[in-house]
Amino acid sequence: MTSIFVKRFRSIALFVAVLGGAAAAGAQEIRIGALFAMSGTQSAFGELMFSGAALAVDHANADRMLSGKLTMAVEDTQGTPQLGVIGMNKLVSVEKVPYVLTSYTGVSKAVAPLGLRSKTVVVNGGAVGPDLAELGAYFWNVIPLANFEVKAFVPYLVKQRGFKRVTLVYLDDPLGNGIRKELEASLPAVGGQLVEALSVPVAAQQFGGVAARVRESKPDVVYIASYGAQQVSAIKQLRDNGVTQPLVSYGSFSNPEILALPEAKGALFTTQLVDWQASDAVTRRFVDDYKAKYGKPPGVYTTNYYNMVRLFVLLARDLQKQGKPITGENLLAQRLASKSFDLAGSKVSFEANGTVMAPIQINEIDAGGAAKPVAVIPVN
Amino acid sequence: MLLLQLLFNGLQVGALYALTAAGFSLIFGTTRVFHLAHGSTFATAAYVFYGLYTLAHAHWLLAALLAAAAAVLFGVLLDRLVYAPIQRHEGSFFTLFIASFGVAIIVQNLIGMAFGRSFVTVTTPLSRSVEIGPGVFAAPLAGIAIVGALGFFGALHLFLTRTHLGIALRALSENPELVRAYGLSPRRLSAVAFALGSLLAVPAAIITVATSGLNPGIGSHVMLISLAATIVGGVGSVRGAACAGLLLGLAESLALWKLEPQWSEAVTFVVLFLFIVLRPSGFFGRAAVH
Repeated sequence: MTSIFVKRFRSIALFVAVLGGAAAAGAQEIRIGALFAMSGTQSAFGELMFSGAALAVDHANADRMLSGKLTMAVEDTQGTPQLGVIGMNKLVSVEKVPYVLTSYTGVSKAVAPLGLRSKTVVVNGGAVGPDLAELGAYFWNVIPLANFEVKAFVPYLVKQRGFKRVTLVYLDDPLGNGIRKELEASLPAVGGQLVEALSVPVAAQQFGGVAARVRESKPDVVYIASYGAQQVSAIKQLRDNGVTQPLVSYGSFSNPEILALPEAKGALFTTQLVDWQASDAVTRRFVDDYKAKYGKPPGVYTTNYYNMVRLFVLLARDLQKQGKPITGENLLAQRLASKSFDLAGSKVSFEANGTVMAPIQINEIDAGGAAKPVAVIPVN
Repeated sequence: MLLLQLLFNGLQVGALYALTAAGFSLIFGTTRVFHLAHGSTFATAAYVFYGLYTLAHAHWLLAALLAAAAAVLFGVLLDRLVYAPIQRHEGSFFTLFIASFGVAIIVQNLIGMAFGRSFVTVTTPLSRSVEIGPGVFAAPLAGIAIVGALGFFGALHLFLTRTHLGIALRALSENPELVRAYGLSPRRLSAVAFALGSLLAVPAAIITVATSGLNPGIGSHVMLISLAATIVGGVGSVRGAACAGLLLGLAESLALWKLEPQWSEAVTFVVLFLFIVLRPSGFFGRAAVH
């Protein structure tokens, strides 16, 4: 009888110990989520974003910045809103993360209501659709949006380069339509003109006819507002089909596939200003470790996604110091209470709508396939 | 000048559509297999050419021949290893369709794993346009596409009308039982149809790599056009599918004369819709399909 009692006691004790251990282990893990295009035609961007975010997780754990191990649950969206919503539901309902990294305008707009409803912070560092600034308090952008980039770019194109006649080839989605609207508003103000705006569907693969329409419009410069594989194909086909005018775009031209494309040589594009030469410890460590880990220098997207994780770590650390739980609601309150953040490449502060303001850098793709800064437009 | 340019572009695109559509129509017409993986044949040929020519630096002719061999092998093996067992067990038309759909998804993912999901292209001076008239540009590859398509269709016509094998293939599409009664093997003829249909996709695939570039999902677009052309041309008519492919390419391009590029692909389906409503048998199709 005694032996049965002892055995049962031992079993229960063991069970409780295992449960307790699991709970303790659970308490030590701080999990965030990420919605990346890890497969499909946008996977080149997904890999870039993941590489930056993963390095920030490594740094946070190596420095023991949080009392607990930081981990990241990644869901593959292929850049599509449908898969984005599935991934977001999983992150919010199953993983119960307080903070989700996202990308792509369509994906961001699809998952933002889920973040708002569950009070989960959703942070974007890749999509630039202008209406991303209007997705509620729980949606933050650590990248200047396209309207801001275009507004900064247009005076440079018209006044510095003398490109007055602009033809736009744009994707018929919120991003493309936002860029069209901004060009229509900004160009006349500085003496320029949008002479033709050609919308293309998301699945378009043939650009021979589009090139004919572009040539017909006799522009000084051609603005391409698309992304991913389609943008690469459009550049090649426009050049192959007799479009000789300079090509310009927004930050998506920093895609390594575009930089490597001979047809993209001489193209101009805007990005937020990131000072990779800065001497502060955060930037130096990020740049050096990124080169050591991936064998190449970081780009804008890798920096943004590194910074998004770092932003979480800074906010969560402050919450832990105050003895508050790391929830979406508390992260939002802590961000509103903080004036600025020391991130890689720059010191960042948020506008009231949750979007960062940053100087815009204009880059030119040189013969070697590198993006060389040619001008910086300060924040007004 | 814009109209002339669009007409020329339409001829080039239409020639490529015609070749792939004729291949699909030949297979569907003779075997009644809804070969949805025809787009995968196209993608296989294109990626093999890209891999050999760009990555392995093989001579273009060798790369093209091996791309053709890969496409033919893919088509024949698919017929032998996937479709034939289903047909032996009297699988329905729908079962074959689902099997083909599954193969298309698998191939797309395999290509993605082997070559990556990104955009790839072959760099050649032949894809660079030169001004041949005021405001009219043409690349050597456009001429090669049009002349090549004419050559392939001429050879196909001769094969189907002048050779025993070609006549047997046409007979198979009319009455498989009668073919068997004459001592011919429908299975062997089916393999020939798959080989020939797959081969027809090869020139279009190679030219597409150089002109528009590729991603692993290219097969679905090719399949959509082939299907539309088969219906517009008349189910079972190779000649009809070829003409319809040309018509769809021209319509897609000429639509840009007055419409936004946004609408050019929709024009394909407007043409398809009009044919379904006004002439369900297509250009040269039979009045009814059994």
